[in-house]
Amino acid sequence: MGTFVQQIVNGLTVGGIYALIALGYTMVYGVMRLINFAHGDLCILGAFVGLTMLTGSAGGGHPGAALLLLALVVSIIAIAGAGVLLERIAYRPLRKADRLAAVVSALGASLMIENGIMLIWGPQVHVFPSNLLPATTWHVAGATISFVQVMIILASLVLMAALYLFVNHTRFGTAIRAAAIDQDAARLMGINVNRVITSVFIIGPGLGAIGGLFIGIYYREAYFTMGWTYGLYAFIAAILGGIGNIPGAMLGGVLLGLFNAFAAGYVSSSWQDAITFGLLIVILLVRPTGLLGERVAEKV
Amino acid sequence: MRRFKLDGLKLGALLWAAGLALPFALDSSWVSIAAFFAIYAITALSEDVILGRAGMFDMGHAVYFGIGAYVTAILNTTLNVPILLTLPLAMLLAAAAGALLSAPLIRLRGDYLLVATIGFNAIFVLAMQNNPGGITGGSDGITGIGVPSLFGLQLESQSAMFWLDWALLGLVLLVMRNLDTCEFGRALRYLKQDELAASTLGVDARKVKTLAFALGAALAGLAGTLFAVQLSTVSPSSFVFTESVTLFAIVIVGGQGSIPGVLLGTALMFVVPQIFRSLAEYRYFVFGIAMIAVMVLRPQGLLPRKRSAA
Amino acid sequence: MSALLELDGVGISFGGLRAVDDLSFTVNEGQIVGLIGPNGAGKTTVFNMITGVYKPGAGAIRWQGNDITGAKPARIATLGLRRTFQTIRLFTEMSVFENVRAGYHLAARQRWWQGLLALPAQRGEEAELAARTHDILRRLDLESVADAPATALPYGVQRRVELARTLAGQPKLIILDEPAAGLNDAESAALNDTIFMIRETGVTILLVEHDMNVVMQVSDHIVVINFGRKIAEGNAVSIRADPAVIEAYLGREDDEAAAA
Repeated sequence: MGTFVQQIVNGLTVGGIYALIALGYTMVYGVMRLINFAHGDLCILGAFVGLTMLTGSAGGGHPGAALLLLALVVSIIAIAGAGVLLERIAYRPLRKADRLAAVVSALGASLMIENGIMLIWGPQVHVFPSNLLPATTWHVAGATISFVQVMIILASLVLMAALYLFVNHTRFGTAIRAAAIDQDAARLMGINVNRVITSVFIIGPGLGAIGGLFIGIYYREAYFTMGWTYGLYAFIAAILGGIGNIPGAMLGGVLLGLFNAFAAGYVSSSWQDAITFGLLIVILLVRPTGLLGERVAEKV
Repeated sequence: MRRFKLDGLKLGALLWAAGLALPFALDSSWVSIAAFFAIYAITALSEDVILGRAGMFDMGHAVYFGIGAYVTAILNTTLNVPILLTLPLAMLLAAAAGALLSAPLIRLRGDYLLVATIGFNAIFVLAMQNNPGGITGGSDGITGIGVPSLFGLQLESQSAMFWLDWALLGLVLLVMRNLDTCEFGRALRYLKQDELAASTLGVDARKVKTLAFALGAALAGLAGTLFAVQLSTVSPSSFVFTESVTLFAIVIVGGQGSIPGVLLGTALMFVVPQIFRSLAEYRYFVFGIAMIAVMVLRPQGLLPRKRSAA
Repeated sequence: MSALLELDGVGISFGGLRAVDDLSFTVNEGQIVGLIGPNGAGKTTVFNMITGVYKPGAGAIRWQGNDITGAKPARIATLGLRRTFQTIRLFTEMSVFENVRAGYHLAARQRWWQGLLALPAQRGEEAELAARTHDILRRLDLESVADAPATALPYGVQRRVELARTLAGQPKLIILDEPAAGLNDAESAALNDTIFMIRETGVTILLVEHDMNVVMQVSDHIVVINFGRKIAEGNAVSIRADPAVIEAYLGREDDEAAAA
């Protein structure tokens, strides 16, 4: 019973992070039909920027919540800026080209960012300070719940709810949804598609930076190739929920987090990833458009 | 048009023949790089069958390359099967894997196939690392693979191995050329460009695509055998997802369905990094920038396929 | 005259909407049959069901008496039943020659490995099919553009290329989905001749057409549908006088004028 509750808490924590990162994949895919392979690396870049803020100004003692908040804000701004820049340089010129050209451009961007991180911060594993947050823990039904976990779960929930409201209940959110269904029609209706795309490259990487920083805080480490690993997981989450589908990415993230936690808890950890990928393939076979269905219209 | 094509063939044949003289002109480390070029060129051409010609987004092609290498390594080290005898088996098993893995996924739309093949690649590497049945040697892989012998002659020297690789590359190039002018090769292009129109003309999409996967996998399996021989060892790290990404990028950067394009792409993505080894740290950073630059400046690839009349 | 294609009570729904309902008609060998109806009547849907793009929800489709309901497009093609598309679907990165050559896919007997090895028998077949492709190109007056990229040509020429591709491989029945759409008057008039010429070669024709002049002039038999149901059937004279047809079209007069 204790393990069971523990796995749920662990799963929800990781799932919240996956969901935050998955939203960036799904929003970009929804509007541009592009798998932004560089997204995971952007998120980890966010973790590194945040880490630099935290360690660079830590004068010993308790850095406190204010510093953490500052690191978050700087990281969000930096990564959103990088996202917009990435779109301008690597994706916008290829909008009318063969889709695969954009895919390779995204792969190149991923390689560039990943190795850029290595050049700046070095190839070693960086440890996140342990005194960022109170070490408080709670014991519930035989499981141990840490302050960090509660913070991550709550923050992810709040951010997802905010995004959901923004996309479904504001004019600009409607524009994003319209552009995702049919760019040309949206343009004819007077929607500025370029602005929508730019906004998607602000929101996605912005949320991703938070996700990246959460990864660093939760696992207390960051290294330059992390983007691939977590990016891939988040991407699987997006597919699981139905790519292009915003609530789908949230659901997919949480489910994948839970699935991973239980796989790690009950199955040999060396096969954990294989099981996750196996699940992905089964889902693709049984329900290729994801659990909540993709939001991509195709005409015969 | 027709004259130009013949000239292209002649030029290719000439370059290939000139390549045979490389061992006399280069020192052994460069001969080894040339041998790796031949091996990766075969792999990239095999990816081109699936991605460039049939238009199926295969981002897990290193799996078939790996199957070929492991089949040769396992058969040779445990059962002492001669290398050249393992070669057809490597091709056959890789082809079977390609057909079996792709069959249920072929109806998936482009991006989903891409994701599924990424999944296969991850599972393959984990499986090799976990050493099922103790036959794959785990993360360290398998060492002590023998040398091939031809008519009782041991192809031991670096030059001899290069010639073997080069000869097989020549054969694969001929097959790729024939693919351009046969009904099967054209059916792939019909499907790539408009599957619905193709099927109303009687193209059996399922059959043709499965066959394309099997052929691409078989050629990758062939390259895998050569790879295992060249290194005399195999380990999971040679077949990771990044390798598949590189193969994918070679085809798109070089030019889909273009033989010169894929060869140039191979040279740029595999050989150039060897030359800049000393700059190891900056290598992939620059590489990433170059990939973006090529795509933005030449979205069709460096040497795109020519429209041809015949 | 024997029945080549029969639709027997065919129906299909999309999300609760009955697009085609209980539709029956027969196409006899050697006939030119016109299928007409106002916009959105379900004409293209009927074609998509016959050619296997959609699977009918009800009824049966028979080919020379054999049930082919729900067969896949590639299998339908092997029967000798070919089609064109309302929005021309040429292979965009290929020349006119290559597009028309694609029509001979089923005529090619070579196996894949023969092609990869470039065996003499395969070479011979390639030469023969290339020659047959050039014959069709000549017949449809496309020889001069054979090497041109197909999609760079004017719309009317593209239609002819698609028609040529359909005729390659000697089909028994071809289905033309609005062959006159987007054509100018001269091209439209030439189309009538082309349709008759095709019939002369022993090919049966089923066409959907918006242009009433074309339909009335070329069709031996006309089937009228509205809201997915058949409302009349007969020759041009009887259809013109049919009250149900007049009523169906009358309310649409403006649309028709706008479309033409």
